[in-house]
Amino acid sequence: MRKNNRITPEGTKDYLFEECLTRRYIERTIGDVFSSRGFHEVVTPGLEFYDVFDPDFSGIPQEVMYKTTDRRGRLIVMRPDSTLPIARLTATRLQNLPKPLRLYYTQPIYRNNPGLTGKSDESVQTGIELLGAGGIRADLDVISTALEALGKCVPGYRLELGHAGIFHVLAEQFPSGENLREEIRSAIETKSYARLDGILDRLPQSEPVRAMRELPRLFGGEEVFERASLLRGDTRLAGILDDLHGIYRSLSQLEQSGRLMIDLGLVQRNDYYTGIVFSAYVEEFGDAVLLGGRYDNLLGHFGQPMPAVGFAVNVDAIAKTLLARGNVCPVLPMDILVHGETGYEVKALEYAADLVAQGLRCETSVLETQDGAVAYAQSSGIKRIDFVGETVKTVNLI
Amino acid sequence: MKPLRIALTKGRLENKAVDLFSRIGYDCSAVREKGRKLILPMGDSIELVLAKAADVITYVEYGVCDLGVVGKDTILEKGGSYYEVLDLGFGKCRFALAGPKEAADFFSGYSVKTVATKYPRFAANYFENKAMDVRIIKIEGSVELAPLLGLSDAIVDLVETGTTLKENGLRVIEPICEVSARLIVNAASMKLRKAEIETLTGRMERCVRKSSSNGKEKSAC
Repeated sequence: MRKNNRITPEGTKDYLFEECLTRRYIERTIGDVFSSRGFHEVVTPGLEFYDVFDPDFSGIPQEVMYKTTDRRGRLIVMRPDSTLPIARLTATRLQNLPKPLRLYYTQPIYRNNPGLTGKSDESVQTGIELLGAGGIRADLDVISTALEALGKCVPGYRLELGHAGIFHVLAEQFPSGENLREEIRSAIETKSYARLDGILDRLPQSEPVRAMRELPRLFGGEEVFERASLLRGDTRLAGILDDLHGIYRSLSQLEQSGRLMIDLGLVQRNDYYTGIVFSAYVEEFGDAVLLGGRYDNLLGHFGQPMPAVGFAVNVDAIAKTLLARGNVCPVLPMDILVHGETGYEVKALEYAADLVAQGLRCETSVLETQDGAVAYAQSSGIKRIDFVGETVKTVNLI
Repeated sequence: MKPLRIALTKGRLENKAVDLFSRIGYDCSAVREKGRKLILPMGDSIELVLAKAADVITYVEYGVCDLGVVGKDTILEKGGSYYEVLDLGFGKCRFALAGPKEAADFFSGYSVKTVATKYPRFAANYFENKAMDVRIIKIEGSVELAPLLGLSDAIVDLVETGTTLKENGLRVIEPICEVSARLIVNAASMKLRKAEIETLTGRMERCVRKSSSNGKEKSAC
């Protein structure tokens, strides 16, 4: 049988050198923003029970999850999302802690993508969850954290705001079943104007039908709120729009340069969102690099109903963007190679430790001869060698 | 500002799409005399990329092309996530389930049927929705051959006029859905270059509406 011991599975790869440095830089920069705002790091298991991600409330299709079983035959998945495990954790081990809770994570998620598309099955996400707090203040806190995190590592991003409640409120007023509702949602999600018109033409015309027809077109800048006047006939919708506009104005005070957009037609399939939803884009990446929103019903599935809001950043996408922009964290050669003569190996280690204590970056030579050490230093770009014998002799290489 | 990049399905839809662009005022001379080039300028603000249908979707999904012109048949087969903003009205035909004229009712009996198709995902979906177990065999070329050679009981394929079916002793058992050329847009492009994209799609939409209402395709818009 052919052995697969020299390749990695499709959808995975090794990350090397400047890729690692860039990823770590992003994780650290964003992690610092999170912890400076009072979020505490948690790590959840890579393996979880399938039931935590039950597609009925997670919106994650079962074919996307990598599965196995535990010793008792129960279904296990490789974590396809970090919000649900954090909801589980909050509803169980953290249930007695005072709320609101501020948690953050940096960990990979696993998704079984269709083959031959070049998509990553393993990707690192970093994100926050603010649990046990409803209302605009919490929304603002979380979204301003997103703005700060992105601003620190990918200048030139755009952040878009929407509200899951708009579609839900409109859909409730429809005399329609689940299938039709899903058809309408999917037409709005994909901005298929023609298909949406086709579906809505079959229904009796009413205020909500007209509003639904407009929904996918209502995206852009602040002027969207004026164009959305058709939605204001319903008091709940008017309330949602006022809240959203308020958040938009507050965020504009933090972020002047036109980075904010509105899309009232954001109706993600990931249906655990109940309130504000937001996503961020950069020009170099064809998909959202950040996704988030309010999910007030999710904790109820774990037995501890409470409001919550959060987001996840796709670290790999941002690393790719920075590398494409040439903002690479360079892999620097060491400052000094320390080579101990025969019999002075321990002295060389001590000497190197002293240099490191002075703040220099030092590598000890593991080569047998001086010539070998010089050749090694030259090939790895190290500019200085200290030979440690009875005395220390410094050689600068050109 | 870099030009908007539009991926265009080569072949059947290509000429109609180029006609549409020229009617809304773009300079299509480079495209009409393209030689073997695959990336072609259309005025200063747009670049056309010629690709196979399924690749149009791939390029748009990854955002290396901002927009794409592709048949609904390919969209239904390939799926993916992008915006599908406009029905361009040309390249019309329909998906249908077809089988030999003299065969017994396809939906009767309890034996599992075999279906040949170029669109295995679409066909599988269609039968799943009917809660029917069928064997699906993917065929690359003339699907009509499969029932004639006795490989399958029926086919799922695109039907334009029905002539090919008729000449080979097949008939439509059930029409499935209408397809036509669609304009698709990458999600990030739609947000980051909204004004440019909306101007373009607005002009295309008006032109498509006008030609469908007066029945003429040649008039300028």
